[in-house]
Amino acid sequence: MSDTNKASVAKFGGRGLNIAIVVAAAVTVAGLALWGVQLSGGLVQTGMRNLDSWGLYITMFMFLVGLSAGGLIISSVPRAFGMKGFGGISKIAVWTSVCCTVLAVGFVVVDLGQPLRLWELFAYSNLGSPLMWDIAVISIYLILSIVYLWATLRAETGKVSGKALRVISVIALITAVLVHSVTAWIFGLQQAHEFWHTALLAPWFVSSALVCGTALVLVVVIALRKVGYLRLDQAHVVKLAKMLGAFVTVDLYFFGCDLLTSGFPGGSGAEVVSMLVSGPLAPFFWVEVVGCVLCAVVCFVPKLRTNPLVVVASLLAIIGIFCKRVQLLVGGFQLPNLDYPGLVNRYTVTDWASGMAGAYQGMVYWPTPLEFGVALGVIGLGALLLLLGLKFLPLRPVDQVRR
Amino acid sequence: MAERLGMVIDMKACIACASCAVACKVENNLPDEVWWNRVLTDGGENPDTPAGVYPDLTMSNLVVACQHCENPACVKVCPVGATYKDSETGVVRQDYDKCIGCRMCMSACPYTGVRSFNWEEPRHVVGHALGDADVPAHQKHVVEKCTMCWHRLAKGLQPACVEVCPARVRYFGDLNDPDSEVSQLIRERECKQLLPSEGTNPSVYYLV
Repeated sequence: MSDTNKASVAKFGGRGLNIAIVVAAAVTVAGLALWGVQLSGGLVQTGMRNLDSWGLYITMFMFLVGLSAGGLIISSVPRAFGMKGFGGISKIAVWTSVCCTVLAVGFVVVDLGQPLRLWELFAYSNLGSPLMWDIAVISIYLILSIVYLWATLRAETGKVSGKALRVISVIALITAVLVHSVTAWIFGLQQAHEFWHTALLAPWFVSSALVCGTALVLVVVIALRKVGYLRLDQAHVVKLAKMLGAFVTVDLYFFGCDLLTSGFPGGSGAEVVSMLVSGPLAPFFWVEVVGCVLCAVVCFVPKLRTNPLVVVASLLAIIGIFCKRVQLLVGGFQLPNLDYPGLVNRYTVTDWASGMAGAYQGMVYWPTPLEFGVALGVIGLGALLLLLGLKFLPLRPVDQVRR
Repeated sequence: MAERLGMVIDMKACIACASCAVACKVENNLPDEVWWNRVLTDGGENPDTPAGVYPDLTMSNLVVACQHCENPACVKVCPVGATYKDSETGVVRQDYDKCIGCRMCMSACPYTGVRSFNWEEPRHVVGHALGDADVPAHQKHVVEKCTMCWHRLAKGLQPACVEVCPARVRYFGDLNDPDSEVSQLIRERECKQLLPSEGTNPSVYYLV
């Protein structure tokens, strides 16, 4: 570790951080105001309609549940299996998990038509609903992540035994896998959508979560090292990058399996494949495939594993998985079961004016500016949480604390 | 045995006049832009247009509302039980007061477009409510759909679409009663259910 790096470790947390916190808070408040507009004027102001009844918010929900995986898994796997860790980044990694989970819940809340009736989820729970399973598992996941972070901090001062921490890390790991599976089941258990109804969806959600989660941790730790929040041996970065390469390859492999199984018999499955490869969702499909392949190349070729390229590869993986979420969500609605023309009006479908055929020419759903605004507000809340954590929580590696 | 109320619609005799769709809209005081019952065209790209090139043209119609499935996909996924199957009649119902507006049921239902969400405060172009006074008030940001005219069933009446049909193609009754008119029609005539591969077993049958 160079001397300049040590000096900058001491310096982190000054004016820059405070300005960032103020900006994030302002974005959050603006988002809340736009949410008020959405609730008072109605969801008609979004791009969602009867035939494409979910949109950007649920896409972001899927995406953020995935992003939350990385941190928890990266810090709990080494501990659960008694392996060497990643140089003390586990606390910061778990904190990114907590922030992403809060964001995911936030996106479900802004999607709801009747957020004031949320209490009914606990009063009238239908335990057979995959959505109810998800609410239960995400709550447990969020609480466990916080408990795990707290236990890690206590263990460092010797108040919690290593054994107890290891038990918590095993439970957290199992919950993390469950969270992604259950989120997949919200979609995968619906026989109504050809694209979603596959047993592969749950393992695929786990692999995608590992991809974008690991990528996020890589970006965050390299950035934090750069601004001097922590020091990290390059060997750990290399180890993380290799893991990212492995995850991204598995994720692409699953995609290949799914496309082949859908397309091979022909018929309606082949429609799904052509919608992705050459249809309205092709841009998102190819950005994902090309981005993930490039990411794998950078991660596996030692010469290419330089810091800037690893960050680029990680960002490509995150963008790729986001594109996959868009394909999943919009693609689910892109192929209606009953596509006969009939009465079409403002409530039927996003682009209703050109009739049923016109509405499905391009992507059946596209968000409105209001949706982008509300989504930005929710992200602002996540950024605010992340930055407040960096400022006030003792998340640095224990041997590097300079306060 | 409990009832399984259902409908048989004779598509060979249907003239696609949309009277059933309009009767449904008026009877249930449906807000602007909301239609629980729709006439679809199986033919060209637009409603009431045929497929093919003259003189080889084909066109048929389909009237679609909630199928009141025996195995409803919507009921399973609702997190709060706002949509549920009535155990006495088999009618799939929706409780507006309970609905949290998550739209999980809309996504799970295989019958594209039979559910409608009130995307804004319900409005009526005539400026006042229409139809039966016993219809529950429509609410903003909840999902709704065909109730099989629940308020009429309570008075021993048939659903409005059945009563109004000028071609008399709609038949209503108990599918669990082998002697009912609907059961006899299903036995004696060639009929189909929509999307049978979805495994939902709709209580609406079409004579073809």
